[in-house]
Amino acid sequence: MDFLFSYIVLAEIYVLLGLSTNLLVGIAGIFSVSQAAVFGVGAYLVAHFMMAADPLSFIPSLLIAAACCVALNILVTLPSLRVSGDYFVVTSFGIQLLATAVFTNWAEGTGGANGLPGIPPPDVFGWPIATTGQYVLLCTAFAGLGCIAFWLIMRAPFGRLVRAIREDETAVAAAGKNVLRAKVSAAALAGAFAGTAGGLYATFLSFIDPSSFDLDASILLLTMVVVGGARTLAGSIVGPFLLLALPQLLTLVEIPTTIAAAARQLIYGLLLIVFMLFRPQGLAGERL
Amino acid sequence: MTAYLNVDGLDHYFGGLRALQECSFTIEQGRITCLVGPNGAGKTTIFNVITGFLKPDQGRVAFRGRSLDGLRPQSIVHAGIARTFQNLRLFTDLTALDNVLVGMSGQFGEEPLGAIFRPVHTARAQARRRAEAMQTLEHVGLANRARDLVRNLSYGEQKLLTVARVLATGAELLLLDEPASGLSAGALDAIMSLLRRLQSEGKTLLVVEHNTRVVQQIADEVLFLHQGHLMAQGTPGQIISDPALAEIYFGGAL
Repeated sequence: MDFLFSYIVLAEIYVLLGLSTNLLVGIAGIFSVSQAAVFGVGAYLVAHFMMAADPLSFIPSLLIAAACCVALNILVTLPSLRVSGDYFVVTSFGIQLLATAVFTNWAEGTGGANGLPGIPPPDVFGWPIATTGQYVLLCTAFAGLGCIAFWLIMRAPFGRLVRAIREDETAVAAAGKNVLRAKVSAAALAGAFAGTAGGLYATFLSFIDPSSFDLDASILLLTMVVVGGARTLAGSIVGPFLLLALPQLLTLVEIPTTIAAAARQLIYGLLLIVFMLFRPQGLAGERL
Repeated sequence: MTAYLNVDGLDHYFGGLRALQECSFTIEQGRITCLVGPNGAGKTTIFNVITGFLKPDQGRVAFRGRSLDGLRPQSIVHAGIARTFQNLRLFTDLTALDNVLVGMSGQFGEEPLGAIFRPVHTARAQARRRAEAMQTLEHVGLANRARDLVRNLSYGEQKLLTVARVLATGAELLLLDEPASGLSAGALDAIMSLLRRLQSEGKTLLVVEHNTRVVQQIADEVLFLHQGHLMAQGTPGQIISDPALAEIYFGGAL
Protein backbone atom coordinates (compact mmCIF):
# COMPACT_ATOMS: atom_id res chain seq x y z
CA MET A 1 0.00 0.00 0.00
CA ASP A 2 2.82 2.38 0.94
CA PHE A 3 4.34 1.66 -2.43
CA LEU A 4 1.22 2.86 -4.23
CA PHE A 5 0.87 5.85 -1.89
CA SER A 6 4.44 7.05 -2.49
CA TYR A 7 3.84 6.81 -6.21
CA ILE A 8 0.70 8.94 -5.88
CA VAL A 9 2.46 11.52 -3.70
CA LEU A 10 5.36 11.87 -6.12
CA ALA A 11 3.06 11.96 -9.13
CA GLU A 12 1.00 14.71 -7.52
CA ILE A 13 4.12 16.74 -6.77
CA TYR A 14 5.07 16.35 -10.42
CA VAL A 15 1.56 17.40 -11.44
CA LEU A 16 2.31 20.78 -9.84
CA LEU A 17 5.59 20.87 -11.77
CA GLY A 18 3.78 19.81 -14.93
CA LEU A 19 1.33 22.70 -14.49
CA SER A 20 4.27 25.04 -13.96
CA THR A 21 6.09 23.86 -17.08
CA ASN A 22 2.93 23.74 -19.16
CA LEU A 23 2.04 27.30 -18.21
CA LEU A 24 5.45 28.64 -19.14
CA VAL A 25 6.44 26.47 -22.11
CA GLY A 26 3.14 25.16 -23.47
CA ILE A 27 0.92 28.17 -23.04
CA ALA A 28 3.07 31.29 -22.87
CA GLY A 29 5.67 29.84 -25.27
CA ILE A 30 8.60 30.73 -22.99
CA PHE A 31 10.79 27.71 -23.67
CA SER A 32 12.45 27.23 -20.31
CA VAL A 33 14.72 24.27 -19.56
CA SER A 34 15.42 25.49 -16.02
CA GLN A 35 12.19 24.64 -14.20
CA ALA A 36 13.95 21.98 -12.14
CA ALA A 37 16.28 24.68 -10.79
CA VAL A 38 13.30 26.63 -9.45
CA PHE A 39 11.86 23.38 -8.06
CA GLY A 40 15.20 22.82 -6.29
CA VAL A 41 15.32 26.31 -4.81
CA GLY A 42 11.84 25.72 -3.36
CA ALA A 43 12.97 22.40 -1.87
CA TYR A 44 16.20 23.75 -0.36
CA LEU A 45 14.48 26.85 1.04
CA VAL A 46 11.75 24.88 2.80
CA ALA A 47 14.40 22.52 4.18
CA HIS A 48 16.46 25.49 5.32
CA PHE A 49 13.60 27.23 7.15
CA MET A 50 12.39 24.03 8.82
CA MET A 51 15.89 23.00 9.92
CA ALA A 52 17.02 26.44 11.11
CA ALA A 53 18.19 26.95 14.70
CA ASP A 54 14.90 28.75 15.21
CA PRO A 55 12.74 26.61 12.90
CA LEU A 56 9.62 27.75 11.12
CA SER A 57 6.70 25.37 10.71
CA PHE A 58 5.79 23.91 7.34
CA ILE A 59 3.13 26.30 5.99
CA PRO A 60 5.07 29.54 6.66
CA SER A 61 8.22 27.93 5.21
CA LEU A 62 6.29 26.90 2.12
CA LEU A 63 4.78 30.36 1.68
CA ILE A 64 8.16 32.10 1.94
CA ALA A 65 9.79 29.56 -0.39
CA ALA A 66 6.96 29.94 -2.94
CA ALA A 67 7.29 33.73 -2.79
CA CYS A 68 11.05 33.46 -3.36
CA CYS A 69 10.45 31.14 -6.32
CA VAL A 70 7.97 33.63 -7.80
CA ALA A 71 10.67 36.31 -7.68
CA LEU A 72 13.34 33.90 -8.94
CA ASN A 73 11.26 32.65 -11.86
CA ILE A 74 10.45 36.20 -12.93
CA LEU A 75 14.16 36.95 -12.80
CA VAL A 76 15.23 33.90 -14.84
CA THR A 77 12.40 34.45 -17.33
CA LEU A 78 13.26 38.11 -17.87
CA PRO A 79 15.82 37.32 -20.61
CA SER A 80 12.94 35.81 -22.64
CA LEU A 81 11.44 39.28 -22.83
CA ARG A 82 14.56 40.50 -24.59
CA VAL A 83 15.83 37.51 -26.52
CA SER A 84 13.39 35.36 -28.39
CA GLY A 85 12.88 31.66 -28.99
CA ASP A 86 16.05 29.75 -29.66
CA TYR A 87 18.28 32.21 -27.84
CA PHE A 88 16.26 31.95 -24.68
CA VAL A 89 16.65 28.15 -24.62
CA VAL A 90 20.40 28.65 -24.47
CA THR A 91 20.09 31.29 -21.73
CA SER A 92 17.80 29.04 -19.76
CA PHE A 93 20.18 26.11 -20.21
CA GLY A 94 22.90 28.27 -18.66
CA ILE A 95 20.68 29.15 -15.72
CA GLN A 96 20.03 25.45 -15.09
CA LEU A 97 23.75 24.61 -15.16
CA LEU A 98 24.47 27.52 -12.84
CA ALA A 99 21.84 26.31 -10.36
CA THR A 100 23.21 22.75 -10.43
CA ALA A 101 26.70 24.11 -9.76
CA VAL A 102 25.43 26.04 -6.73
CA PHE A 103 23.41 23.09 -5.38
CA THR A 104 26.45 20.82 -5.75
CA ASN A 105 29.19 23.09 -4.46
CA TRP A 106 27.67 25.31 -1.81
CA ALA A 107 28.23 22.77 0.97
CA GLU A 108 27.14 24.94 3.93
CA GLY A 109 23.85 25.86 2.29
CA THR A 110 22.79 22.75 0.45
CA GLY A 111 24.96 19.96 1.82
CA GLY A 112 26.66 19.85 -1.56
CA ALA A 113 26.73 16.64 -3.56
CA ASN A 114 26.10 14.61 -0.38
CA GLY A 115 22.70 16.17 -0.08
CA LEU A 116 20.68 17.41 2.85
CA PRO A 117 19.35 14.69 5.18
CA GLY A 118 16.97 14.92 8.13
CA ILE A 119 14.35 17.32 6.80
CA PRO A 120 11.50 17.13 9.33
CA PRO A 121 8.02 16.02 8.26
CA PRO A 122 5.46 18.76 7.75
CA ASP A 123 2.55 19.76 9.89
CA VAL A 124 -0.51 21.68 8.82
CA PHE A 125 -1.44 24.18 11.53
CA GLY A 126 -0.34 21.81 14.26
CA TRP A 127 -1.74 18.69 12.60
CA PRO A 128 1.29 16.45 11.93
CA ILE A 129 1.73 14.67 8.63
CA ALA A 130 3.47 11.43 9.54
CA THR A 131 2.08 8.50 7.55
CA THR A 132 2.25 8.13 3.79
CA GLY A 133 -1.54 8.14 3.75
CA GLN A 134 -1.56 11.60 5.30
CA TYR A 135 0.97 12.73 2.69
CA VAL A 136 -1.42 11.59 0.01
CA LEU A 137 -4.12 13.83 1.50
CA LEU A 138 -1.74 16.79 1.77
CA CYS A 139 -0.41 16.45 -1.77
CA THR A 140 -3.85 15.80 -3.20
CA ALA A 141 -5.01 19.03 -1.59
CA PHE A 142 -2.12 21.04 -3.05
CA ALA A 143 -2.28 19.41 -6.48
CA GLY A 144 -6.06 19.87 -6.47
CA LEU A 145 -5.74 23.57 -5.66
CA GLY A 146 -3.09 23.89 -8.36
CA CYS A 147 -5.35 22.24 -10.92
CA ILE A 148 -8.30 24.45 -9.98
CA ALA A 149 -6.15 27.57 -10.25
CA PHE A 150 -4.81 26.42 -13.63
CA TRP A 151 -8.31 25.66 -14.89
CA LEU A 152 -9.63 29.04 -13.72
CA ILE A 153 -6.91 31.10 -15.36
CA MET A 154 -7.04 29.12 -18.59
CA ARG A 155 -10.72 29.82 -19.08
CA ALA A 156 -10.32 33.48 -18.04
CA PRO A 157 -9.15 36.29 -20.32
CA PHE A 158 -5.63 35.78 -18.96
CA GLY A 159 -5.48 32.31 -20.54
CA ARG A 160 -6.55 33.68 -23.89
CA LEU A 161 -4.04 36.51 -23.64
CA VAL A 162 -1.03 34.25 -23.00
CA ARG A 163 -2.11 31.88 -25.78
CA ALA A 164 -2.26 34.88 -28.10
CA ILE A 165 1.20 35.97 -26.94
CA ARG A 166 2.63 32.57 -27.81
CA GLU A 167 1.35 33.04 -31.34
CA ASP A 168 2.22 36.66 -32.02
CA GLU A 169 3.49 39.19 -29.50
CA THR A 170 3.42 42.07 -31.96
CA ALA A 171 -0.25 41.51 -32.70
CA VAL A 172 -1.03 41.39 -28.97
CA ALA A 173 0.70 44.76 -28.46
CA ALA A 174 -1.20 46.12 -31.46
CA ALA A 175 -4.42 44.99 -29.77
CA GLY A 176 -3.54 47.28 -26.88
CA LYS A 177 -2.32 44.67 -24.41
CA ASN A 178 0.70 44.75 -22.14
CA VAL A 179 2.76 41.75 -23.28
CA LEU A 180 5.42 42.24 -20.63
CA ARG A 181 2.99 42.18 -17.74
CA ALA A 182 1.26 39.03 -18.98
CA LYS A 183 4.56 37.19 -19.42
CA VAL A 184 5.74 38.23 -15.97
CA SER A 185 2.43 36.99 -14.52
CA ALA A 186 2.83 33.62 -16.23
CA ALA A 187 6.39 33.33 -14.92
CA ALA A 188 5.26 34.25 -11.40
CA LEU A 189 2.54 31.60 -11.37
CA ALA A 190 4.90 28.98 -12.75
CA GLY A 191 7.37 29.93 -10.00
CA ALA A 192 4.74 29.57 -7.29
CA PHE A 193 3.77 26.11 -8.54
CA ALA A 194 7.38 24.92 -8.81
CA GLY A 195 8.32 26.31 -5.39
CA THR A 196 5.35 24.65 -3.70
CA ALA A 197 6.23 21.36 -5.38
CA GLY A 198 9.78 21.74 -4.07
CA GLY A 199 8.62 22.17 -0.48
CA LEU A 200 6.35 19.13 -0.65
CA TYR A 201 9.11 17.07 -2.23
CA ALA A 202 11.74 17.97 0.39
CA THR A 203 9.53 17.18 3.37
CA PHE A 204 8.15 13.99 1.84
CA LEU A 205 11.55 12.47 1.07
CA SER A 206 13.24 14.07 4.12
CA PHE A 207 16.42 13.98 2.03
CA ILE A 208 17.28 16.04 -1.04
CA ASP A 209 20.36 16.19 -3.23
CA PRO A 210 21.27 18.03 -6.46
CA SER A 211 20.44 15.06 -8.71
CA SER A 212 16.70 15.73 -8.30
CA PHE A 213 17.04 19.26 -9.62
CA ASP A 214 19.49 18.94 -12.51
CA LEU A 215 19.12 19.28 -16.26
CA ASP A 216 17.80 15.71 -16.53
CA ALA A 217 14.99 16.70 -14.18
CA SER A 218 14.16 19.75 -16.29
CA ILE A 219 14.05 17.59 -19.39
CA LEU A 220 11.87 15.06 -17.59
CA LEU A 221 9.39 17.88 -16.91
CA LEU A 222 9.38 18.82 -20.59
CA THR A 223 8.89 15.16 -21.50
CA MET A 224 5.90 15.01 -19.16
CA VAL A 225 4.33 18.00 -20.89
CA VAL A 226 5.04 16.59 -24.34
CA VAL A 227 3.74 13.11 -23.53
CA GLY A 228 0.77 14.32 -21.48
CA GLY A 229 -0.10 17.11 -23.86
CA ALA A 230 0.64 20.81 -24.03
CA ARG A 231 -1.75 23.54 -22.89
CA THR A 232 -4.38 21.37 -21.23
CA LEU A 233 -5.11 20.51 -17.62
CA ALA A 234 -5.56 16.83 -18.48
CA GLY A 235 -2.17 16.77 -20.18
CA SER A 236 -0.48 18.18 -17.09
CA ILE A 237 -1.98 15.38 -14.99
CA VAL A 238 -1.60 12.45 -17.38
CA GLY A 239 2.07 13.12 -18.16
CA PRO A 240 3.47 12.93 -14.60
CA PHE A 241 1.34 9.93 -13.61
CA LEU A 242 2.39 8.02 -16.69
CA LEU A 243 6.10 8.85 -16.67
CA LEU A 244 6.52 8.22 -12.96
CA ALA A 245 4.83 4.85 -13.31
CA LEU A 246 7.64 3.82 -15.60
CA PRO A 247 10.41 3.37 -12.97
CA GLN A 248 7.90 1.49 -10.79
CA LEU A 249 7.11 -0.82 -13.66
CA LEU A 250 10.80 -1.36 -14.33
CA THR A 251 11.25 -2.58 -10.76
CA LEU A 252 8.80 -5.37 -11.57
CA VAL A 253 11.03 -6.50 -14.43
CA GLU A 254 14.01 -8.62 -13.40
CA ILE A 255 16.88 -6.35 -14.41
CA PRO A 256 19.94 -5.34 -12.40
CA THR A 257 19.55 -1.98 -10.61
CA THR A 258 22.61 -0.59 -12.37
CA ILE A 259 20.88 -0.98 -15.71
CA ALA A 260 17.47 0.16 -14.46
CA ALA A 261 18.47 3.84 -14.19
CA ALA A 262 19.97 3.83 -17.67
CA ALA A 263 16.97 1.97 -19.06
CA ARG A 264 14.66 4.58 -17.59
CA GLN A 265 16.59 7.46 -19.21
CA LEU A 266 16.59 5.54 -22.48
CA ILE A 267 12.84 5.08 -22.40
CA TYR A 268 12.22 8.74 -21.47
CA GLY A 269 14.39 9.82 -24.40
CA LEU A 270 12.62 7.49 -26.80
CA LEU A 271 9.20 8.68 -25.61
CA LEU A 272 10.22 12.29 -26.19
CA ILE A 273 11.37 11.58 -29.75
CA VAL A 274 8.43 9.34 -30.65
CA PHE A 275 5.85 11.81 -29.36
CA MET A 276 7.46 14.82 -31.04
CA LEU A 277 7.52 12.95 -34.33
CA PHE A 278 4.20 11.13 -34.31
CA ARG A 279 1.96 12.77 -31.77
CA PRO A 280 3.11 16.34 -31.00
CA GLN A 281 -0.19 17.07 -29.25
CA GLY A 282 0.59 14.39 -26.65
CA LEU A 283 -2.03 12.10 -25.19
CA ALA A 284 -4.44 14.80 -24.09
CA GLY A 285 -3.24 18.13 -25.35
CA GLU A 286 -2.55 20.43 -28.24
CA ARG A 287 0.41 20.71 -30.56
CA LEU A 288 3.40 22.21 -28.72
CA MET B 1 -7.40 74.63 -34.54
CA THR B 2 -5.25 71.56 -33.98
CA ALA B 3 -5.35 68.82 -36.56
CA TYR B 4 -6.96 65.47 -35.73
CA LEU B 5 -3.79 63.56 -36.60
CA ASN B 6 -0.70 65.60 -37.24
CA VAL B 7 2.39 63.92 -38.66
CA ASP B 8 5.22 66.39 -38.62
CA GLY B 9 8.66 66.14 -40.24
CA LEU B 10 9.25 62.39 -39.81
CA ASP B 11 12.66 61.05 -40.70
CA HIS B 12 13.64 57.44 -40.39
CA TYR B 13 16.67 55.50 -41.53
CA PHE B 14 17.02 51.74 -41.92
CA GLY B 15 20.81 51.59 -41.92
CA GLY B 16 21.76 53.70 -44.92
CA LEU B 17 18.28 53.73 -46.42
CA ARG B 18 16.24 56.83 -45.70
CA ALA B 19 12.77 55.32 -45.47
CA LEU B 20 11.07 58.55 -44.41
CA GLN B 21 12.22 62.02 -45.42
CA GLU B 22 10.67 65.00 -43.66
CA CYS B 23 7.32 63.40 -44.08
CA SER B 24 4.45 65.62 -42.94
CA PHE B 25 0.69 65.50 -43.35
CA THR B 26 -2.51 65.93 -41.43
CA ILE B 27 -5.70 63.91 -41.36
CA GLU B 28 -9.19 65.22 -40.72
CA GLN B 29 -11.64 63.53 -38.44
CA GLY B 30 -14.40 61.44 -39.96
CA ARG B 31 -12.81 60.98 -43.37
CA ILE B 32 -11.32 58.08 -45.24
CA THR B 33 -7.79 58.99 -46.25
CA CYS B 34 -5.90 56.66 -48.57
CA LEU B 35 -2.14 56.45 -48.45
CA VAL B 36 -0.81 55.48 -51.88
CA GLY B 37 2.58 55.28 -53.52
CA PRO B 38 4.92 52.79 -55.15
CA ASN B 39 6.47 49.90 -53.23
CA GLY B 40 9.08 51.15 -50.77
CA ALA B 41 7.52 54.60 -50.55
CA GLY B 42 7.34 54.28 -46.76
CA LYS B 43 3.63 53.60 -46.27
CA THR B 44 4.00 50.78 -43.77
CA THR B 45 6.88 52.62 -42.07
CA ILE B 46 4.51 55.54 -41.46
CA PHE B 47 2.04 53.12 -39.88
CA ASN B 48 4.77 51.66 -37.68
CA VAL B 49 5.80 55.12 -36.49
CA ILE B 50 2.26 56.34 -35.78
CA THR B 51 1.42 53.18 -33.80
CA GLY B 52 4.63 53.21 -31.77
CA PHE B 53 6.31 50.12 -33.25
CA LEU B 54 9.13 52.27 -34.63
CA LYS B 55 10.75 55.29 -33.04
CA PRO B 56 11.40 57.90 -35.74
CA ASP B 57 14.87 59.42 -35.91
CA GLN B 58 13.26 62.85 -36.26
CA GLY B 59 9.83 64.39 -36.16
CA ARG B 60 6.67 63.93 -34.16
CA VAL B 61 3.15 62.62 -34.28
CA ALA B 62 0.25 64.23 -32.42
CA PHE B 63 -3.28 62.92 -32.08
CA ARG B 64 -6.05 65.34 -31.04
CA GLY B 65 -3.31 67.77 -30.06
CA ARG B 66 -1.63 65.25 -27.77
CA SER B 67 1.92 64.15 -28.57
CA LEU B 68 2.42 60.41 -29.06
CA ASP B 69 6.21 60.66 -28.67
CA GLY B 70 7.71 57.79 -26.72
CA LEU B 71 4.40 56.04 -26.11
CA ARG B 72 4.42 52.24 -26.35
CA PRO B 73 2.11 50.54 -28.86
CA GLN B 74 -0.44 49.51 -26.24
CA SER B 75 -0.66 53.08 -24.91
CA ILE B 76 -1.29 54.40 -28.40
CA VAL B 77 -4.17 51.95 -28.77
CA HIS B 78 -5.62 53.32 -25.53
CA ALA B 79 -5.15 56.84 -26.88
CA GLY B 80 -7.51 55.83 -29.71
CA ILE B 81 -5.43 54.62 -32.67
CA ALA B 82 -5.39 50.96 -33.74
CA ARG B 83 -3.97 49.23 -36.78
CA THR B 84 -4.12 46.12 -38.90
CA PHE B 85 -1.15 44.41 -40.55
CA GLN B 86 -0.54 43.70 -44.19
CA ASN B 87 0.25 40.07 -43.29
CA LEU B 88 -2.83 39.95 -40.97
CA ARG B 89 -1.08 38.60 -37.86
CA LEU B 90 -4.22 36.89 -36.59
CA PHE B 91 -4.02 34.30 -33.81
CA THR B 92 -4.61 31.33 -36.06
CA ASP B 93 -4.93 28.73 -33.26
CA LEU B 94 -7.71 30.73 -31.57
CA THR B 95 -11.32 31.06 -32.68
CA ALA B 96 -12.57 34.12 -34.52
CA LEU B 97 -14.44 35.16 -31.37
CA ASP B 98 -11.30 34.86 -29.22
CA ASN B 99 -9.35 36.97 -31.71
CA VAL B 100 -11.89 39.74 -31.23
CA LEU B 101 -11.89 39.26 -27.45
CA VAL B 102 -8.10 39.68 -27.26
CA GLY B 103 -8.60 43.14 -28.74
CA MET B 104 -11.20 44.26 -26.19
CA SER B 105 -9.84 46.50 -23.47
CA GLY B 106 -10.37 46.51 -19.71
CA GLN B 107 -11.38 42.89 -19.15
CA PHE B 108 -11.66 41.51 -15.65
CA GLY B 109 -9.66 38.31 -15.32
CA GLU B 110 -6.78 39.40 -17.51
CA GLU B 111 -4.74 39.31 -14.30
CA PRO B 112 -4.33 35.74 -13.01
CA LEU B 113 -5.07 36.61 -9.36
CA GLY B 114 -8.41 38.14 -10.27
CA ALA B 115 -9.24 35.07 -12.32
CA ILE B 116 -8.32 32.69 -9.46
CA PHE B 117 -9.88 34.50 -6.51
CA ARG B 118 -12.97 35.96 -8.16
CA PRO B 119 -14.01 33.22 -10.60
CA VAL B 120 -17.71 34.02 -10.59
CA HIS B 121 -17.14 37.68 -11.30
CA THR B 122 -14.68 36.72 -14.06
CA ALA B 123 -17.18 34.36 -15.67
CA ARG B 124 -19.97 36.96 -15.59
CA ALA B 125 -17.74 39.67 -17.02
CA GLN B 126 -16.64 37.21 -19.71
CA ALA B 127 -20.22 36.42 -20.70
CA ARG B 128 -20.93 40.12 -21.25
CA ARG B 129 -17.73 40.55 -23.25
CA ARG B 130 -18.56 37.55 -25.42
CA ALA B 131 -21.91 39.11 -26.28
CA GLU B 132 -20.17 42.35 -27.25
CA ALA B 133 -17.60 40.47 -29.31
CA MET B 134 -20.39 38.62 -31.11
CA GLN B 135 -21.91 41.97 -32.05
CA THR B 136 -18.59 43.10 -33.47
CA LEU B 137 -18.37 39.90 -35.51
CA GLU B 138 -21.93 40.40 -36.75
CA HIS B 139 -20.99 43.92 -37.72
CA VAL B 140 -18.31 42.69 -40.10
CA GLY B 141 -20.44 39.75 -41.25
CA LEU B 142 -18.59 36.92 -39.51
CA ALA B 143 -21.10 35.92 -36.83
CA ASN B 144 -21.52 32.47 -38.37
CA ARG B 145 -17.77 31.79 -38.08
CA ALA B 146 -17.41 32.87 -34.42
CA ARG B 147 -16.54 29.40 -33.10
CA ASP B 148 -14.26 28.43 -35.96
CA LEU B 149 -10.50 28.45 -35.66
CA VAL B 150 -9.00 31.25 -37.67
CA ARG B 151 -6.83 28.93 -39.73
CA ASN B 152 -10.03 27.43 -41.17
CA LEU B 153 -11.33 30.80 -42.35
CA SER B 154 -10.99 31.93 -45.96
CA TYR B 155 -8.55 34.75 -46.74
CA GLY B 156 -11.40 37.19 -47.25
CA GLU B 157 -12.92 36.23 -43.90
CA GLN B 158 -9.53 36.64 -42.23
CA LYS B 159 -9.25 40.16 -43.65
CA LEU B 160 -12.67 41.03 -42.24
CA LEU B 161 -11.59 39.59 -38.91
CA THR B 162 -8.56 41.91 -38.75
CA VAL B 163 -11.02 44.81 -39.03
CA ALA B 164 -13.18 43.27 -36.28
CA ARG B 165 -10.13 43.04 -34.04
CA VAL B 166 -9.25 46.73 -34.40
CA LEU B 167 -12.89 47.66 -33.87
CA ALA B 168 -12.85 45.67 -30.62
CA THR B 169 -10.15 47.96 -29.21
CA GLY B 170 -12.64 50.83 -29.32
CA ALA B 171 -10.16 53.02 -31.21
CA GLU B 172 -11.61 55.88 -33.25
CA LEU B 173 -8.80 56.22 -35.77
CA LEU B 174 -8.20 52.99 -37.67
CA LEU B 175 -5.05 52.39 -39.69
CA LEU B 176 -5.70 49.64 -42.21
CA ASP B 177 -2.77 48.18 -44.13
CA GLU B 178 -4.00 46.96 -47.52
CA PRO B 179 -7.40 45.70 -46.39
CA ALA B 180 -8.46 44.96 -49.98
CA SER B 181 -5.37 43.31 -51.44
CA GLY B 182 -5.67 39.76 -52.68
CA LEU B 183 -9.46 39.65 -52.41
CA SER B 184 -11.99 38.28 -54.87
CA ALA B 185 -14.54 40.68 -56.35
CA GLY B 186 -17.22 39.63 -53.86
CA ALA B 187 -14.96 39.97 -50.83
CA LEU B 188 -13.74 43.31 -52.18
CA ASP B 189 -17.28 44.70 -52.25
CA ALA B 190 -17.87 43.40 -48.72
CA ILE B 191 -14.82 45.16 -47.33
CA MET B 192 -15.49 48.42 -49.18
CA SER B 193 -19.05 48.61 -47.91
CA LEU B 194 -17.77 47.81 -44.42
CA LEU B 195 -15.27 50.70 -44.58
CA ARG B 196 -18.03 53.07 -45.70
CA ARG B 197 -20.23 51.88 -42.87
CA LEU B 198 -17.47 52.45 -40.31
CA GLN B 199 -17.06 55.98 -41.60
CA SER B 200 -20.78 56.66 -41.24
CA GLU B 201 -20.51 55.44 -37.65
CA GLY B 202 -17.94 58.10 -36.86
CA LYS B 203 -14.65 56.27 -37.36
CA THR B 204 -11.74 57.94 -39.11
CA LEU B 205 -9.76 55.73 -41.47
CA LEU B 206 -6.25 55.89 -42.84
CA VAL B 207 -5.90 53.17 -45.44
CA VAL B 208 -2.88 51.93 -47.38
CA GLU B 209 -4.21 50.77 -50.72
CA HIS B 210 -2.76 49.83 -54.09
CA ASN B 211 -5.94 49.19 -56.02
CA THR B 212 -6.86 52.47 -57.74
CA ARG B 213 -10.45 51.35 -58.20
CA VAL B 214 -10.79 50.88 -54.44
CA VAL B 215 -9.12 54.24 -53.80
CA GLN B 216 -11.50 55.99 -56.17
CA GLN B 217 -14.50 54.42 -54.53
CA ILE B 218 -13.71 54.93 -50.86
CA ALA B 219 -11.24 57.80 -50.45
CA ASP B 220 -12.25 61.33 -49.48
CA GLU B 221 -8.61 62.34 -49.59
CA VAL B 222 -5.50 60.76 -51.07
CA LEU B 223 -1.93 61.16 -49.82
CA PHE B 224 0.69 60.27 -52.40
CA LEU B 225 3.94 59.12 -50.87
CA HIS B 226 7.17 58.80 -52.81
CA GLN B 227 10.59 57.95 -51.39
CA GLY B 228 9.43 58.59 -47.87
CA HIS B 229 8.10 62.03 -48.63
CA LEU B 230 4.58 63.38 -49.15
CA MET B 231 4.56 64.25 -52.84
CA ALA B 232 0.94 65.23 -53.37
CA GLN B 233 -2.35 65.48 -51.56
CA GLY B 234 -5.82 65.79 -53.05
CA THR B 235 -9.05 64.13 -54.04
CA PRO B 236 -8.80 60.73 -55.75
CA GLY B 237 -9.69 62.39 -59.08
CA GLN B 238 -6.88 64.95 -58.77
CA ILE B 239 -4.26 62.37 -57.83
CA ILE B 240 -5.18 59.76 -60.40
CA SER B 241 -5.40 62.25 -63.27
CA ASP B 242 -1.98 63.74 -62.53
CA PRO B 243 0.33 62.37 -65.25
CA ALA B 244 3.51 62.97 -63.22
CA LEU B 245 2.20 60.84 -60.35
CA ALA B 246 1.00 58.14 -62.74
CA GLU B 247 4.50 58.03 -64.17
CA ILE B 248 5.97 57.42 -60.71
CA TYR B 249 3.30 54.97 -59.73
CA PHE B 250 3.11 52.88 -62.86
CA GLY B 251 6.05 53.91 -65.05
CA GLY B 252 8.63 54.42 -62.35
CA ALA B 253 8.44 50.84 -61.30
CA LEU B 254 8.98 49.53 -64.82
